[in-house]
Amino acid sequence: MSRSGFLRLVAERLGFLVLTVWITTTVTFLLFRLMPGDPTLAYLSPTFNEETRTALLRSFGLDKPLWEQYLIYMGNLLQGDLGTSFLQRVPVSQLLADALPNTIILTLVALSIAYAFGIVAGAFLAFQRGRGIEGFAIPAALATRSAPEFWLGMLLLAGLAFQLGWFPTGGAVPPGSNLGGVVDRLTSPEFWRHLFLPALTLVLYLQGLPLLLMRATMLEVMNDEFIVMARMKGLSRWSIVMRHAARNALLPVVTAFALGLGASVGGNVVVETVFAWPGVGRVLVQAVQGADYPVAQGAFILISVVLATMNTVADLLYAALDPRVSVGARR
Amino acid sequence: MKRHVVAAMAVAGLVTSLPVSAQPAGDPVRTLVLLAQPQAALPQEYQAAELIAAAWRQLGLQVQIRPLPSQQFNQIVWYERQRWDTTTWQMVGRPERSDPDELTYNLFLSANIANGYNFVGYNNPEYDRLASAQREELDVAKRKQLMIQAQELVNRDQPYGFMVHPKNVVAFNKNVWDEKSIVDQAGIGARNTWTWLSIAPLGAQRDIILNSVSTPTNLNPFNISGAQGSWAAEITWDRLMRIGTDGLPQPWSAEAVTRPDPLTVDVKLRAGMKWSDGRPITIEDAVFSLVAPGIGDKSPMYKPFVANIANVQATGTDTLRITLKKPDAAFLVSSLAKLNLAPKHVWEPIFQSLQGKPETAESVMETTPVSSGPFRMVKAKLNEEIVLEANRDHWAAPKAARWIMRIQPNTEAALGALRSGEINFLADYNGDPQILRDIAKADPKIKIAEALDMGFKFIAYNHRRQPFNSTPFRQALSASIDRELLAEDAWGGAAVPSNSWVSPALTFWHDQGIEKRVPGGNVEAAKKILKDAGFVLVNGRLHYPAGVKETTAPFQ
Repeated sequence: MSRSGFLRLVAERLGFLVLTVWITTTVTFLLFRLMPGDPTLAYLSPTFNEETRTALLRSFGLDKPLWEQYLIYMGNLLQGDLGTSFLQRVPVSQLLADALPNTIILTLVALSIAYAFGIVAGAFLAFQRGRGIEGFAIPAALATRSAPEFWLGMLLLAGLAFQLGWFPTGGAVPPGSNLGGVVDRLTSPEFWRHLFLPALTLVLYLQGLPLLLMRATMLEVMNDEFIVMARMKGLSRWSIVMRHAARNALLPVVTAFALGLGASVGGNVVVETVFAWPGVGRVLVQAVQGADYPVAQGAFILISVVLATMNTVADLLYAALDPRVSVGARR
Repeated sequence: MKRHVVAAMAVAGLVTSLPVSAQPAGDPVRTLVLLAQPQAALPQEYQAAELIAAAWRQLGLQVQIRPLPSQQFNQIVWYERQRWDTTTWQMVGRPERSDPDELTYNLFLSANIANGYNFVGYNNPEYDRLASAQREELDVAKRKQLMIQAQELVNRDQPYGFMVHPKNVVAFNKNVWDEKSIVDQAGIGARNTWTWLSIAPLGAQRDIILNSVSTPTNLNPFNISGAQGSWAAEITWDRLMRIGTDGLPQPWSAEAVTRPDPLTVDVKLRAGMKWSDGRPITIEDAVFSLVAPGIGDKSPMYKPFVANIANVQATGTDTLRITLKKPDAAFLVSSLAKLNLAPKHVWEPIFQSLQGKPETAESVMETTPVSSGPFRMVKAKLNEEIVLEANRDHWAAPKAARWIMRIQPNTEAALGALRSGEINFLADYNGDPQILRDIAKADPKIKIAEALDMGFKFIAYNHRRQPFNSTPFRQALSASIDRELLAEDAWGGAAVPSNSWVSPALTFWHDQGIEKRVPGGNVEAAKKILKDAGFVLVNGRLHYPAGVKETTAPFQ
């Protein structure tokens, strides 16, 4: 693809990205306001009266017409102001800023390990097609892929934390720790000890997709003419698999990684709850349960931005790696 | 009516096969819908609803249990008061409810029917009189008699179907903490401010590490921060009075509190107290703390607690006088033991800056809160943990070094953390109490502390809708509830039968033995109440008394 064609594609994809985020933002805004109940229900108590409710609604900005709320909300959003949590009474940006690094670290670590393992194991299993190990490895990959995350997590907790005591039962740092910043945490062995079980749960859950994808693509590629040519040239089987077949089979796996990264930012709800991991998923669950509109909106916007961005990245990556795809798309 | 029924059945060829009541009957009672939160959310309440529905079916009623997600559930019960028939509900125990006034005045007063806490719509002028009289009566013995009369009246009218008073079940590591230093507070249990102050370490571990299932809210002296947040707030900010372990108010930051007449409260401030920034606590700070929640609508959650204050004035360098708008027997508990002392030099400018803006003081975040309590906040990562450290300069300094609340939404993991020693105080446990008892039996370092709560669980009847507007009907429903069964089966023994909003934990105010005095008291007696009131069983289905039509739309 020419340079100008690629830039045009980038501009087009970025346009779609902005449109997607705007639609998500608007739908999220409306969705929470159409749900039964309002945030003041979280404060019901015998001393709660109509005056209190009115004051709370006014402080939340919910006393205004819907269109006005929307305009204020979008205006604030464009200035980077996500509002203040109705329930926790702290800025949404602060809640998300506290939670996001934890989610990103958990996701990146788990996805990287899962995909590294999946790619190598998938290539290896394609190489071992028809042998005995296939009969064990494929069902094992399918089983861990199908097992619910909470069940995997509870099993790991029961075995490695409750029984053996090798790992902590939850949280990201030891009680009362001074590990506040991201750098402090990343350089602390205690943080990695706390990360181990939630990351392992995610790795077990996530590795099935790249493994099976890699294996299937490899099997396809192994029948291509350039592989036959490599064999005819007398290259070793290892060299054929890793240097020629695997490189060509990686394309769909790279796409899946980008999409998986986007999805995992908002999709770690279960693992974060089981392991008390202070990430975005837990913030989101609490916000939805408590009709905390600003937090839920903020979290959904964050997730949609990441997801849409990763989709765009995958799209562009695909175009860059395989010009045939983008050229086809342009027509 | 009877002739019509017999004729219709004869035509249908059923007259010889189905029993027919000898009494004339009105329309059949529609299918009644009992609202509940989903079993996964509140398993004990849901099981109780199932047991109660089964009992009501024995009375000839058709009953459906309708689980609803909490937001929808609250929305319908609270804001659509004409719509529902009956629902599960609860009142939780809080220190300020050690005086029964808050619940007595708000739950059943007819003035609160439209949009207050009398959401069932109970309307009895005699009750209104008693509730108002007890509030204004400063003679404790006379007030107690009024409270007993109010409880008897509610027993007669059965506006609620009381179920149980739950027990608070917590556990701690007795290898870490001296079990003799754990304090039981009446109606609250072992997880209370007095325990946090007196709990004594046995070894090197001096940090209280407890769990919280929920995430707390922003902690500041003008935000009521939910159940878990309030555990931290109560020991971070001082109050003029505190609820003692006996449930009665006692001076705290005040050296003395006197009431020269029903409308006047005099306070003498304790000497030598300091804020965490080193400045002394002055009488101006105390006056400001009592006045600030009433300024505009900048502290909506605290405003009701100062609504009865007409004036607060410093009368000396360490004394102040509060003038009330009307007599309030519970003022010391509901206001002086509830309002936090806040530093005027910090909060007065904040309140001024909030004027004309939609924001309230509740969402103000202090980087380092200035407080005076026995603990000071050093870390508040709300989704992770709250860390307080002991204020060694406090006149009631705690024995522990730090108070660390870990946010752990997974109850199973919290139990594992207690066993592994990661936490040493299981403060927030809503699981099956038997599981905890079994763990304590198997692990000698774990000690359970069970105590009766001042809260209660109940079935709310909507008096706006027939047949719940009929007192005998409500009496019969309440009579058929087997409270012993609920306590043992649904709550696993961690509850006692209830028939009053005043828990037996509040021994002074509770009407002794009232739980045994539900009118009727069993299913057969309930049937008799219904029969005496004219309700008729026709082919096993309960009908209204003769001439009464079913005019109420079923809950959809």
